[in-house]
Amino acid sequence: MSPPILSFRDVTKSYPLGSGLDRLLGRGGRFIALDGVSLDIARGDVVGVVGESGSGKSTLASIAVGLFPPTSGEVTIDGHPLSALRRDRRGPLRRRIQMVFQDSSSALNPRKTVRRCLAETLALRGVPRAQQEAEAMDLLGLVGLGSEIAPRLPHELSGGQRQRVGLARALAMRPDILIADEPVSALDVSLQAQVINLLSRLTKELGLTLLFISHDLALVRTLCTRIIVMQKGRIVEQGPCREVLENPADPYTRMLIAAVPKGLAGRRTPGPAPAAAPPPIQPMHAIAADAHSTSSR
Amino acid sequence: MSAPILSIENLSVGFRGQGGGTVEAVRGVSLTVAPGEAVGLVGESGSGKSMTMLAVMRLLPSTARITGGRVVFDGTDLAGCDEAHMRGLRGREIAMVFQDPQSSLNPALTIGRQITDVVRAHRAVGLREAREIAADALQRVGIRDAAARLNAYPHEFSGGMRQRALIAMAIACRPRLLIADEPTTALDVTVQAQIVDLIAELRRDLGIAVVFISHNLQLVSEIVDRIVVMYGGKVVEDGPVEAVERTPRHPYTGLLQACVPRLTGPAGPLVTIEGAPPRLGRMPTGCPFSPRCPQAEPRCSEEMPVLGATDDHRVACWRPQ
Repeated sequence: MSPPILSFRDVTKSYPLGSGLDRLLGRGGRFIALDGVSLDIARGDVVGVVGESGSGKSTLASIAVGLFPPTSGEVTIDGHPLSALRRDRRGPLRRRIQMVFQDSSSALNPRKTVRRCLAETLALRGVPRAQQEAEAMDLLGLVGLGSEIAPRLPHELSGGQRQRVGLARALAMRPDILIADEPVSALDVSLQAQVINLLSRLTKELGLTLLFISHDLALVRTLCTRIIVMQKGRIVEQGPCREVLENPADPYTRMLIAAVPKGLAGRRTPGPAPAAAPPPIQPMHAIAADAHSTSSR
Repeated sequence: MSAPILSIENLSVGFRGQGGGTVEAVRGVSLTVAPGEAVGLVGESGSGKSMTMLAVMRLLPSTARITGGRVVFDGTDLAGCDEAHMRGLRGREIAMVFQDPQSSLNPALTIGRQITDVVRAHRAVGLREAREIAADALQRVGIRDAAARLNAYPHEFSGGMRQRALIAMAIACRPRLLIADEPTTALDVTVQAQIVDLIAELRRDLGIAVVFISHNLQLVSEIVDRIVVMYGGKVVEDGPVEAVERTPRHPYTGLLQACVPRLTGPAGPLVTIEGAPPRLGRMPTGCPFSPRCPQAEPRCSEEMPVLGATDDHRVACWRPQ
């Protein structure tokens, strides 16, 4: 088995609490955002990271992409420590992780057209000017957008289109790992479905490793092969996605599952008895073993 | 059935377009809400669902105005009444809760001050009594140690607590109608479930009628009695929640239902609705959904179907399912 493409070893991130004086006197204490997290992600894994606000899932993503360093612990990409990658900014390894953000309107520069945004990213990768236009159009096609949006500014696009542009920009660097932090939580259900299907198709076509951060377990179930459940900076449960969702071992996972809207099956007020019982949950042994599951601890 | 508490009749809302024209965002919407009833108003962004309810509150943006129809609340037409009358109703008889609790609260004033302001605007009570009412409302929405929490500022509350505080503000004067516009969209799933529980509870205990605006059919189905689906500024389907959920008659409703991911059943690719909702001012002549509808026939793009009223499950479609 090949080594994990992304690996966390005992990673902790903490922030000082209290006023400046408290900190000077060492009595402020620290807020622990990520608490000794270890995980391995294999090439081609599509991993859902779930948990509530404050569970540390976005901190995990930010550290993975190198936005800030961990307080302690080690993050490696294909065996290379991320701290070394940051110094070597132009190096080929740095661009291997790209990120798609939740709020597409603040993730794009409001004064740059889609064309310019993509061309500048391609230039960073060293694509010659003459080829930038053609590649930018290819990228737009890849995320299901037409070339007519190239001259537009972000505010002239719909939320779904902006999120696709954000995705195209991330893909412009030809990453191995894509980190998507709540990429669809600001979108309508119909657009959500389009973007999720697009992500699913792209991970397969491009062989991407995807870290999909979300609080929506139903979405994670649709897209991901593995799931990591986080609570208060720790991983409380992980494993093949369907297995965990159908047989949750941790009470916190069960609570998250219970919170997913269930339509008529989840009626709060006593109404007429439902005519049909909800479909029974598939027994675990009926599901083929997940090819992507790794021997992470 | 008792007389409706709110009856929207053929309501139209228009925005001033370029060159003096008017672009209609709400196009002849009719719907009713019975006392104590919970109605889910469902549709995508731009379907006109929020504009319809903002028109009821007479809180439309300055570029928009009611261009036709009536909004009858408790026997009075709100579309034509004066601002003074509206001020007496807002917060007293009809209250609204918005999506983003952060921007709905004044960051410089305590939670207690903001709730007591509402109470004192509508009821002849002193400060002490207003604070008691406010503490009572906060307690009712599930905030522990409510009396002490009155002195907290919005930034000291979590997102879920802020939304609870806004709901407390909305119910402090015991309104008869609560309009909740995507009240859980900015919240975590677990907090979302709590807020939905809370709204169901308030309805049961206080008998408040609720209009719950959302784009998630699965979510609203958990608490409403009736679902009204809007598309392109029009009501396309309206019926009891069981009927709409089990046998959606408009193709749009069926697709809206199918594109929500679920925790049970097959986990393949999601059903999507191809294309995008029509843009303001570029509404098709016929059914607004016809350009995206897999079942559309030539007639659909030429002639707008009327909302059929054969039973209490109405649908505006030439080829209902």
